[in-house]
Amino acid sequence: MTELERRALLPAGLRDGLPPEAAFEANTVERLLAVFTGFGYERVKPPLIEFEDSLLAGAGAGMSPHTFRLMDPISQRMMGLRADMTPQIARIAAFRLGQAPRPLRLSYAGEVLRVKGDQLRPERQFGQVGAELIGSAAAAADSEVILMAAGALTAAGVEGLTVDLSLPALVTTVLTKHAVAEADRVGLRQALERRDSAAIRAIATPATDVLDALLRAAGPARAAIKALTQIALPREALAECRRMEEVVAAIEAVSPNLTITVDPVENRGFDYETGLCFVFFAPGVRGELGRGGRYLANGLDQATEPATGFSLFTDSVLRALPAPRPPRRLYLPHGTPASESGKWRRQGWTTVSGLDAGVDAKAEARRLKCTDVLIGADVVALD
Amino acid sequence: MADPAPLILALPNGRILKEVMPLLSRAGIVPEPAFDDPAARQLSFATNHAELSLVRARSFDVATFVAFGAAQLGVAGNDVLMEFAYSEIYAPLDLKIGRCHLALAEPEAAAKDDDPARWSEVLVATKYPEITRRHFAARGVQAECIKLNGAVELAPALGLCRRIVDLVSTGATLRANGLVEVERIAEVTSRLVVNRAALKTRPAETGRWIERLREVIDAG
Repeated sequence: MTELERRALLPAGLRDGLPPEAAFEANTVERLLAVFTGFGYERVKPPLIEFEDSLLAGAGAGMSPHTFRLMDPISQRMMGLRADMTPQIARIAAFRLGQAPRPLRLSYAGEVLRVKGDQLRPERQFGQVGAELIGSAAAAADSEVILMAAGALTAAGVEGLTVDLSLPALVTTVLTKHAVAEADRVGLRQALERRDSAAIRAIATPATDVLDALLRAAGPARAAIKALTQIALPREALAECRRMEEVVAAIEAVSPNLTITVDPVENRGFDYETGLCFVFFAPGVRGELGRGGRYLANGLDQATEPATGFSLFTDSVLRALPAPRPPRRLYLPHGTPASESGKWRRQGWTTVSGLDAGVDAKAEARRLKCTDVLIGADVVALD
Repeated sequence: MADPAPLILALPNGRILKEVMPLLSRAGIVPEPAFDDPAARQLSFATNHAELSLVRARSFDVATFVAFGAAQLGVAGNDVLMEFAYSEIYAPLDLKIGRCHLALAEPEAAAKDDDPARWSEVLVATKYPEITRRHFAARGVQAECIKLNGAVELAPALGLCRRIVDLVSTGATLRANGLVEVERIAEVTSRLVVNRAALKTRPAETGRWIERLREVIDAG
């Protein structure tokens, strides 16, 4: 191992944030959170590590294979380093804020760590920014969180945003209604995952025609919902479709430029979601910008309450944004009085003070990436 | 929002390319003349549709380009899709070309007194280590794979290992190398594949090409 390798190499999937990207990331996170605050969502801050039992309970179970664990020397119990913040927010809502009035609106931002990166996201550490709306089953709650997430992404500078709506429980409802054998379900779900109509047709079950029709219904929202309502669906599934239609209308009324698509068979990563789910995409960005949906938040003694919420992935959101403009920086030559430099900062300037006498102010300003330099009492722009 | 960049359709080189071109032509897609010029060094080609261009790549790379969204559409065999299990690829349309199957084969002499039910582990030379491992794991057999990129049928004759997993279409290559098929693992045809994010962010354009090709396939 070379000296450089020993001292500079980071473990796979981890990186140093540098100027100007690190500041840009922090600003972007703040802009997203500011939108949530505007909608009345209050910030919470769970710890980085907590007991595995609470972190991986309920909706957190899916994160078990992705979670780093370590033993707590104090309690001798196993702890997990969060791989997803959503279960932590659910825990706060159920216990710490169990008595707080409903609907409860919470927001959060923080870093998560995963054991392994995947094909699309080799990063093992990345940021999540999200919000949860707990204690309301209304369709208005669904449209509120979707519109808020879309509004936040747009405010942060994402262009050409698409929201893809899905009903992860739909396929299960259809499989159960038609009493499809467990052995066939595995193959059907795999084929649905690939959107592979030929593979679905190859597995003859009473549900095959309906599943293939669901698959073909996917696409732009209006046409997809129209197609869905023409499929012979169980009654509870039709109710969910009507709810989706209501949400689509609410979104269109507020955000006519948002592309809305519907994918009735989307199920990936939605193991615990019970109702309307959504994923955000942007043109030219691989993978998802964020995802969320409706679930049942668990309290003590199997008590549940309806909830919906979402997480945005900071790294993907940044990939969807144009590169940040370099900030204007004012070089204050050596000898500028402290009272003077404070005056410039109060006017909104970022100042860089010369620490040594006898250097050429303009050359030094350029070398330190300043855009302006103070000469006498005047700000002089460079180039 | 309209995206001005053309959609890119990635096509696999070789045998499949010959079968896929007539489908494209029936769908009204005509590439620029350089596409058919074997001497051309160009890898990316315009078509008669300003909003669609073509690229050529090795079949495994087509799937990679589409998985990462570098190409929005592609043509890939489900052997490739099964091997990589890319989460970001959808395979909405069976093009019904490139028909063959994946099979386990071994030398004729060995096959006679071999009882697959008694295997606990097997050593296999293949281009498809993931499919092979999964296939054997599902029946409780541990598969050790030697990854080859071609000429897999040579492995048993040269003593690399006894068994291979490879694509079989007529079986002529197996016979020529003294091998017999002992197990059929999967049927293979070429699929039209599409990048998940592209399908969501450009639903009308991608959907239109999928539908047009579907009509061509359905018309036989």
